[in-house]
Amino acid sequence: MQSDIKKVMLIDDNEIDLKINSKLISLSNLFQEIIICQSGEEALDYLSRHMNDDDKLPNFILLDIQMPEMDGFEFLEEYKKFSTTLTDKCPVAMLSSTLDFGDTQRAEANPYVIKLLKKPLSPKELAKLL
Amino acid sequence: MKTPTVRVLYIDDEENNLQAFKASFRRQYEIYTAISAAEGLKILQSVNVQVIIADQKMPNTTGVEFFKSITETFPDPMRILLTGYTDIEALADAINHGDIYRYITKPWNDLELHNSIKNAYDAYKAKIDLRNKIAELEKTNDELNRFIYSISHELRAPLVSVIGIVGLVKMEGLYNSSGEYWSLIETCSNKLDYYIQKTLQYYKNNKTVADKSPVDFNKLISELIEVYSYTDKDTRFTINIDQEVEFKGDLFRIEVILGNLISNAIKYQKVTELNKKVNIDVEVSKEFAQISISDNGMGILNEHLEKIFTQFFKSKVHHGSGLGLFIVKEALNKIEGRISVSSDVDHGTTFKITIPNAK
Repeated sequence: MQSDIKKVMLIDDNEIDLKINSKLISLSNLFQEIIICQSGEEALDYLSRHMNDDDKLPNFILLDIQMPEMDGFEFLEEYKKFSTTLTDKCPVAMLSSTLDFGDTQRAEANPYVIKLLKKPLSPKELAKLL
Repeated sequence: MKTPTVRVLYIDDEENNLQAFKASFRRQYEIYTAISAAEGLKILQSVNVQVIIADQKMPNTTGVEFFKSITETFPDPMRILLTGYTDIEALADAINHGDIYRYITKPWNDLELHNSIKNAYDAYKAKIDLRNKIAELEKTNDELNRFIYSISHELRAPLVSVIGIVGLVKMEGLYNSSGEYWSLIETCSNKLDYYIQKTLQYYKNNKTVADKSPVDFNKLISELIEVYSYTDKDTRFTINIDQEVEFKGDLFRIEVILGNLISNAIKYQKVTELNKKVNIDVEVSKEFAQISISDNGMGILNEHLEKIFTQFFKSKVHHGSGLGLFIVKEALNKIEGRISVSSDVDHGTTFKITIPNAK
């Protein structure tokens, strides 16, 4: 059985934003645990390492779009290769400061993305998704 | 400076003329001669010729027929037609279909023909130079757009972090802990963000080619209201959308246009008004979408109505950026839409826009 502790994974190359967003999330009590990843690669590595350990897997992912090497969309391409036991119960929301119409549309069209949130993260909007 | 080599192709079915031409001009130009249109074409295919002179009266293919046949394949060389007699019909045909630069009668006068070749070459050069300049300008313009776009992105990311920190400060109850400093930081950051967003909108409007995607006004308008009424929950919206037919248009620009107008309607309310209202009516037909957005806000002074669509126009009292309506107008120009405005300080403002259905 899955543990009751709600865990969110933050993927962002920007350390300051990671700090701000984890603070926001803990202040608003939306999740009990925060997994911080500074790149898409790091996140993929974490997920595959803990594939069989339900206690370590996130229930939600907040994903930045513009990151060096592997951007948010490239991460999603890899993410969808994971088994559905993970992807079904761990939805992804993108979190970006982008104003690019193309990015917005790509995010909306991606079946794994439930919503594109704009930075700065609003706890209210995030709560609505959960 | 060494004068550039001008390559001239002369086509004539009389060998004597070809010889005479060569004798007169070989010192000034690089001369190629051909005894028929077919021979001429072979030369064109292998040599980059700038000026072509062709005799009109030749067996098989006439000069004009030859020029007509190469309008698509060799559009650049300048054409000079030579004829021994004045044939008005051939002349009209040459001008209308053969893209002829000069018409010269036989027997030619060396000086006249020399000047014609020289002028033809100058015209050729001007044409090519202009084309290169246009390509260069397009490239520069494109680079500038990309530059501004990426700069805006890079500028905005840290700014958004600052706005996020201000949000945290609020959540932790520290907002009033340092006098009004936090609220000043917030105001300045929001203002800067607004300018960056408008700059991006403006450049994107300039750059993007119009697209045709289906527009669902119900969905679009409720999304926009959600975005812009986020900071102001007092305004009551009355929305009336009559869309029974499919509408196709430039979604990005329509979103920019309606977004700016709706945000203005919310922003420029009377402070004292208790019953803040915005009405949005949309009527979609096969030909157009007609949209009217009216508010009971502070209105626009009559003498300002003419200027509100100009870049950086701001009224003294209200703190706009002078970009919103300018961008609306620019975006409408790109999609062949129209806008009109009526306003008075007692009743508020109504904007009416018409956007063609691109279906």
